[in-house]
Amino acid sequence: MTELRDLLDGVVADVDAVFLFSPNASYAEQFGELDDVDVVVVAPDNTVDADPFVELPLEFTDIEGRVRFGIEGALEQGVVDEGAEVVCVADMLGGTANTVVRVETSDFSPSGVYDLFVNSRAEPGVVRDVFEVAVELGKKGQKGKPVGALFVVGDAGKVMNKSRPLSYNPFEKSHVHVGDPIVNVMLKEFSRLDGAFVISDAGKIVSAYRYLEPSAEGVDIPKGLGARHMAGGAITRDTNAIAIVLSESDGLVRAFKGGELILEVDPEEY
Amino acid sequence: MQFGIDWPELVRTVFSPEGAFVLSLAVLVVGAIFGYFVWRSLRQFMRELGVPEAVEGTPFERTARSLGTSTVGIVSNLAALFVYITAITVALNIAQLVDPEAYWTRFTAFLPDLFIAAFALIIGLIAGDKARLIVSERLRSVKLPEATVVPELVKYSIFYLAVLIALGQLGVDTLALLILLAAYAFGLVFLVGLALRDVLTASAAGVYVLLTEPYSIGDEIVIGDRQGIVQEIDMFVTHVESDGREHVIPNQKVFREGVVRIRD
Repeated sequence: MTELRDLLDGVVADVDAVFLFSPNASYAEQFGELDDVDVVVVAPDNTVDADPFVELPLEFTDIEGRVRFGIEGALEQGVVDEGAEVVCVADMLGGTANTVVRVETSDFSPSGVYDLFVNSRAEPGVVRDVFEVAVELGKKGQKGKPVGALFVVGDAGKVMNKSRPLSYNPFEKSHVHVGDPIVNVMLKEFSRLDGAFVISDAGKIVSAYRYLEPSAEGVDIPKGLGARHMAGGAITRDTNAIAIVLSESDGLVRAFKGGELILEVDPEEY
Repeated sequence: MQFGIDWPELVRTVFSPEGAFVLSLAVLVVGAIFGYFVWRSLRQFMRELGVPEAVEGTPFERTARSLGTSTVGIVSNLAALFVYITAITVALNIAQLVDPEAYWTRFTAFLPDLFIAAFALIIGLIAGDKARLIVSERLRSVKLPEATVVPELVKYSIFYLAVLIALGQLGVDTLALLILLAAYAFGLVFLVGLALRDVLTASAAGVYVLLTEPYSIGDEIVIGDRQGIVQEIDMFVTHVESDGREHVIPNQKVFREGVVRIRD
């Protein structure tokens, strides 16, 4: 007679590391007593004072996004080696620590999500703020209608030289930063305008209404995406900026870096 | 305190001894009622002002809590106590149960000072702890073990000030302590001014640069011998990048050496 427990033992057998996603303090402590596996905590804030720790920039609602980000972050930080087998303990459907996923890091192709947030020119906080603005815009739209928007974040000097104004820049001589409380409303209003928002490394909104003029050679973005995505993808290949694009037609938020699509999220899921 | 000394004489000349005794009883009753109202309205007033939330988490409040009371309770009780004691001494004086020249009457004169001193001490203790909390919260991002000294320093500076005020209120000669405070304040201002001289000049220049924006992000400029594209302007520095090198140039350099904008 086999017990269910024996059958599922295989999931956690011989792993190199355990990833805890947003654990509470007492739960994390129990894991600290394990001596033959590494324990990695992945959470928005390091509330449990864990080391190693991977910071989650976004509240990924889907488990795959979270797991992907955590593992890529740990690989990047050198906490686990490539080829290690890890077990992720996460929350799902509103429960706590009710999901266990086993991942082999060798047959796992990094999407660059971690790299997008942490190793971009712009500060991680700025990337996250812009992302949140885009997601919010995608959720609510402008006056109930879906809107599109293109944010180019980081390397603003170069981006400004590779673009031209479509009209007067509403942000000229203003010192507004993404993450300021009033900004969401402002960006929402200005998203009606055509063109891109340019945001500097430190989060200052440099300009709106920019027409991007990168060379689009060799930019590989999925077919079917429009001019906005093409412009966003291309500018990231030409400069060290990243582009965060909200699609008007399908309402998804996409992030580009180095001319490639890195991340795709549905605002409705946040 | 004139009230405690002149009025009883007048009362005794107007009323008979029995009348004076009754009046002193009345003063006691009025004092008790007035004290109660002071206690209640002070409590109410401090609640409205949000004092309980403001002092939450400070060691003084925690000590008060462990003694079964709270900061609001202590302050309002002190005020009520002040009213009671005043009423009792006034009544005693009117009834002439004690010698007017006795220790008690002088104590009455001393009472308001004592009350203010106690009040100053309580405010100082709470303000000091609160300031320490705020400063350490601000310094949280500075991951330096020595940075914890700064909040403590702030706390004890405020304690020192409070003690100074309280002692001054009690009539203790605080000249020596005052001189110490002046020396400390001077040293602080002088040293901080000296240490932050460059930062201050940079931020003064930065205000001008930010307000008038002689150059903006994306312009190609030359500052001194550095040429490049402006990537970032903030209060203290300007980031200029060329060929993958990002120069961080303090803003006073912009003023001292001027800027060349390259237009082509």
